[in-house]
Amino acid sequence: MADVSFAKNVVDEVAAEERIAAVSQRRWPGRDRWLGISTIVAFIVIWEIVYRLGLMPTWAFPSPWKVVLAFQELIANGKLLTNTAASVGRQITGVFFAALVGIPAGLALGASPTARAAFLPLCRLLYPIPGIAWIPLAILWFGVGFTSTVFVIFFSGIWSIMFNTMTGVQTLSGQYTEVAKVYLASRSLYTRRILIPGSLPYIITGMRLTYGVGWRVIVGAEMISSITGLGFLIDDARWQLRPDIMICGMITIAMIGWVSENWFFDWVEEKTIVRWGMRTT
Amino acid sequence: MLTVESLNKTYVSQGSDTPALVDINLSIAEGEFLCLLGPSGCGKSTLLKIIAGLIPATSGRIAINGKAVSGPGPERAVVFQDYALFPWMTVRDNVEFGLEARKLPVAERREVSSRLLKVVGLSDFAERFPHQLSGGMKQRVSIARALAVDPALLLMDEPFGALDAQTRQLLQDELLRIWREYRKTVVFVTHSIEEAIYLSDRIVVMTARPGRVKQIVMVPEPRPRDMASVDMNQRQREVRAVLGEEIARAAALEEADLMAGA
Ligand SMILES: Nc1ncnc2c1ncn2[C@@H]1O[C@H](COP(=O)(O)OP(=O)(O)OP(=O)(O)O)[C@@H](O)[C@H]1O
Ligand SMILES: [Mg+2]
Repeated sequence: MADVSFAKNVVDEVAAEERIAAVSQRRWPGRDRWLGISTIVAFIVIWEIVYRLGLMPTWAFPSPWKVVLAFQELIANGKLLTNTAASVGRQITGVFFAALVGIPAGLALGASPTARAAFLPLCRLLYPIPGIAWIPLAILWFGVGFTSTVFVIFFSGIWSIMFNTMTGVQTLSGQYTEVAKVYLASRSLYTRRILIPGSLPYIITGMRLTYGVGWRVIVGAEMISSITGLGFLIDDARWQLRPDIMICGMITIAMIGWVSENWFFDWVEEKTIVRWGMRTT
Repeated sequence: MLTVESLNKTYVSQGSDTPALVDINLSIAEGEFLCLLGPSGCGKSTLLKIIAGLIPATSGRIAINGKAVSGPGPERAVVFQDYALFPWMTVRDNVEFGLEARKLPVAERREVSSRLLKVVGLSDFAERFPHQLSGGMKQRVSIARALAVDPALLLMDEPFGALDAQTRQLLQDELLRIWREYRKTVVFVTHSIEEAIYLSDRIVVMTARPGRVKQIVMVPEPRPRDMASVDMNQRQREVRAVLGEEIARAAALEEADLMAGA
């Protein structure tokens, strides 16, 4: 009898391990990985060919190698580091506040039909406004610099995290609530131990989107309302006729965005919902 | 210890009323093992949830030790059919959930959960997560979670319904051992005649929808019970005869529903 349950358990465990393996394989399968890398290499080769053939004016179209040199220059004079730090600082601050407001608001909206009835119409009205459209108003209110950029990131990003958290709460199994009632859990215990972890798959997805939206809007915001940051670096290079620096800024944005979106949030998922067997694909 | 007096329940949804329970009267003694047996859809889960205080009755009264109750209480705990464990908590944290809600200090919680995990034979799995366990193990965790708050009344809704035959048999024996050792009163929902006869002191056979109490069958056989014995066979036939009519009626009702739906 004990053998039966033990054997079943082993089977379950193997299944769980296979699931995890399948997930990581999906991210880095050998063949797909090479395909991806070849395409990137091909892209750079074509870029070089276009440059050599002189299809574009050279003052506006740098070679890949010139971009590498520009990277070297920007690292040496410290501009890359300071501007990246400025952008990342704003991004993290903006996303932090979006989460700070968006997650509790989403929990409240998900849990209370009254809150939904009261606030959803307003949210639906504000939601389609592109983040960039807030910039002029943000400059009027907060001036050029840190606060106005953070404000724009906040307003662009809050919707994803809020709506996703709301959906997470709404799709949470009613049975968990019944268990909480049976054991006389307080409101705060219920929120902390059931509502938040139970909707975590949705909260993480929301955070991914919020982060992505913020990072995409930050450049635009910094071009207009800032004198530091990667957006500023790119925009400023225009006045110096330095397209190589512009491309440096763009590549840096892509790298940081890629690393944080794929690496950081994947890591959070591995530590939480994958470990709990809650991944829904 | 538990009395149910002229209890009625009607589900109201979008203009159509579904009567689920009609005039239920029961009295359950301290330490008794009672089974609710009936065809699918007869309102067993509904009755159990009303006793648990999870849903309100339309009319009637539930009293525990003479005191009317409406809503969940510390003297009752529920074991659900599909375990209802929290996937984000370790086995240990799941078992301790009721104690956490009761604001017991961590050290005391640890003590209780360690003891109960030993009782259900899962000491080595304390730090696992539910998805790493088999169905039988999950239900053991769920039982340990219920026992942790030391309820006088244990409410179980087809707790072994999703398990294979061997695991089921094993858990039935474990449950009887726990019931004897901890002197709980148990209300156990099942639609298996064998299970009801094997486990209970008394079987409440319910009618097809809407649920009423059709008959109460005593099972005075001493435990451990031998399902193959002549007495037990006789009793099984008795209960099967009573329940058979209701199952036929339930099937007819269902067919009528299908026709109406089509
Ligand atoms: N929330 C609800 N709203 C409306 N009707 C409901 C609701 N829950 C149950 N019912 C109806 O009440 C009746 C009894 O349901 P209940 O779940 O209590 O039956 P049961 O005896 O537990 O059935 P089973 O053996 O299949 O679990 C059924 O006809 C069902 O359709
Ligand atoms: Mg049921």
